[in-house]
Amino acid sequence: MLWDYFKAKEILDKYGIRSIESRYVENADDAVKFSQSKPIVLKLISEKELHKSKAGLVKLELSNEKDIRRAYEELASKGKSLKPYKIIAQKMAEEGGIESIIGGRDDPQFGKLILIGLGGVYVEAFKDFALRVCPINEYDAGEMLEQLVSRNVITYKGESRKMLVKLLMSVSKLLVENPQIKELDLNPVILREKSYDVVDIRVLE
Amino acid sequence: MKELKYILKPKSVVIVGASRTPGKVGHIILQNYINDGYSGNIYLVNKNEEEILGMRSYSRVTGIKAGSIDLAVIAVPAEAVPEVLEDCGKAGVKSAVVVSGGFAEIGKQELQDEIVKIAKKYKIAMIGPNCLGVMDPRSRVNTLFLPSYKLAKPEIGGISFVAQSGAVGSTVLDLMAGEGFGISKFISYGNAADIDEVDILEYLMEDEETKVIAMYIEGIKRGRDFIELGKKITKKKPVIILKAGRTAAGATAAHSHTAALAGSYEAHEAVFRQFGFTIANDISELLYYSKIFASEAAPVGSRIGIITNGGGAGVLTTDAIASSRHMSLGELSEKSKADLRKVMPPLVNITNPLDLAGDADDKRYRDALTSMASDPGIDMIIVIILFQTPGADSRLAAEVVAMKEKTSKPMVVLSIGSEYTEMHKMMMERSGLPVYDSPRAVALSLEALYSYYQYKNHSG
Repeated sequence: MLWDYFKAKEILDKYGIRSIESRYVENADDAVKFSQSKPIVLKLISEKELHKSKAGLVKLELSNEKDIRRAYEELASKGKSLKPYKIIAQKMAEEGGIESIIGGRDDPQFGKLILIGLGGVYVEAFKDFALRVCPINEYDAGEMLEQLVSRNVITYKGESRKMLVKLLMSVSKLLVENPQIKELDLNPVILREKSYDVVDIRVLE
Repeated sequence: MKELKYILKPKSVVIVGASRTPGKVGHIILQNYINDGYSGNIYLVNKNEEEILGMRSYSRVTGIKAGSIDLAVIAVPAEAVPEVLEDCGKAGVKSAVVVSGGFAEIGKQELQDEIVKIAKKYKIAMIGPNCLGVMDPRSRVNTLFLPSYKLAKPEIGGISFVAQSGAVGSTVLDLMAGEGFGISKFISYGNAADIDEVDILEYLMEDEETKVIAMYIEGIKRGRDFIELGKKITKKKPVIILKAGRTAAGATAAHSHTAALAGSYEAHEAVFRQFGFTIANDISELLYYSKIFASEAAPVGSRIGIITNGGGAGVLTTDAIASSRHMSLGELSEKSKADLRKVMPPLVNITNPLDLAGDADDKRYRDALTSMASDPGIDMIIVIILFQTPGADSRLAAEVVAMKEKTSKPMVVLSIGSEYTEMHKMMMERSGLPVYDSPRAVALSLEALYSYYQYKNHSG
């Protein structure tokens, strides 16, 4: 069962994992109000569609009222075949950065696994990821990053590496302490040199 | 811990289903015990015979004096196994290898559960069913029902090879023996109804005769126990694992990207990696890594020195090293350069890779090896010997073996060629010097060695 987005966001907050400011919107007016003239993203969330971007359910960089309204109407119309659905509005992540995926799943043999890889639309094309059993320590987290072909793209230098190691350890802790979670996707997590944003969350129980 | 010692080091054995008919499993097993010169007591059981190959045969295990048997090798039809095992229990038999097939592997789970129950009731440590069983060249125990002339006979050594599958097991064992590997134990454990991979690894971890463990597995029965064991075993000795089932389809459609990427094979691989196991991707790699780990040399760094008597082979090997994850070519020290310049002919360019030229003999190799062995900028040495050249002969092979004894740096030989080369490869292999026949194999093996010791040094 897919968790409600905000239930999932709340648990990330609890473990100090920063996700981007978001709220559900009931109509186009709500979305416009949320924007406050700053660029936003609108997404349709439905259990029926895992690949939001590919299905055209993510509308990026909506900076004026006209674009926001048009995007909202388009999503609402697509939603008719994906009921039940919700539309979420999010602040745009800062410019730049690289998309990664951090995830977890409950393996019947070995228990909780944690994953990091090249994320976003590249997840399936490159399948560049590293996997470990939870709990992981600092060394394991470092080795996970070292294992990635894209390691030099994902972690620029010392500081971003440290940040990412800490983030992985927080996710591992979350997975271990919440046994009811069967699958977790933080995808994409946008990584910049000194900060990151979890942009999309998917938790399955 | 399950008592594998009664299986691998039994003082007495009973072969149940022993047969006088050549070609029958019960005949081959008996013949192998006799041929291998097992020195303990051998008892035979066959309900229809009183004598087999001149030896007394009992009609039931219970007819043998109670408490006198360490191991029962059971080769009777599946339906008869419960009764035999029950008899073994009553006769105080301590362990059993059930080679018979016809259990869970063909859907007869109940029959398998029944024999597990009997084994547990009488505290019999049981390997199988549906397996080849064990071979230990030291104790000369051999339950393999394979005619001995079809399988190269392994020498005594430090590699223990564990295989779930009997077919892969005997194939690899044959290859290992053929390449001159020294074997400590061979264990094929089949359906793992009682003794499973975790029990076997626990035993081998403490076994002083075992220096390296190589494994072929299809699955792991107790995942969390395997992890707990993994935390300890790889700190003691290297374990190389070849796991089948990479392409197995996921059981259910994934609901997340994480689950879609990380299936069951990936989970196994993650565990192996995290806890310092060396992953082999095929049988060749299993052999490559077994060989280099068996040479028992630990690298302190990842800088490679190459000595060659062929320029092209040196370049190809340099390429293979350069494309590895952690290794690079080392820089020769000023002292090495000066020393080498004094002894090498002018046509030898003093650099790494060090090309000794096509006329290089044992003396030139010795000088080169002496410098590389003491050079602080070199952590591991690759000696390329192309035996087709005029200067390369048995003296050179002996020289390289002697150098291996003198240095603590890992050292491997790369030799490519046919008959004459093969003969010398065997000489060097049997002296514990790993020899490879391709630059790729050398690079993979040194990388595996380096990665293992990195893990070991890190995790103490």
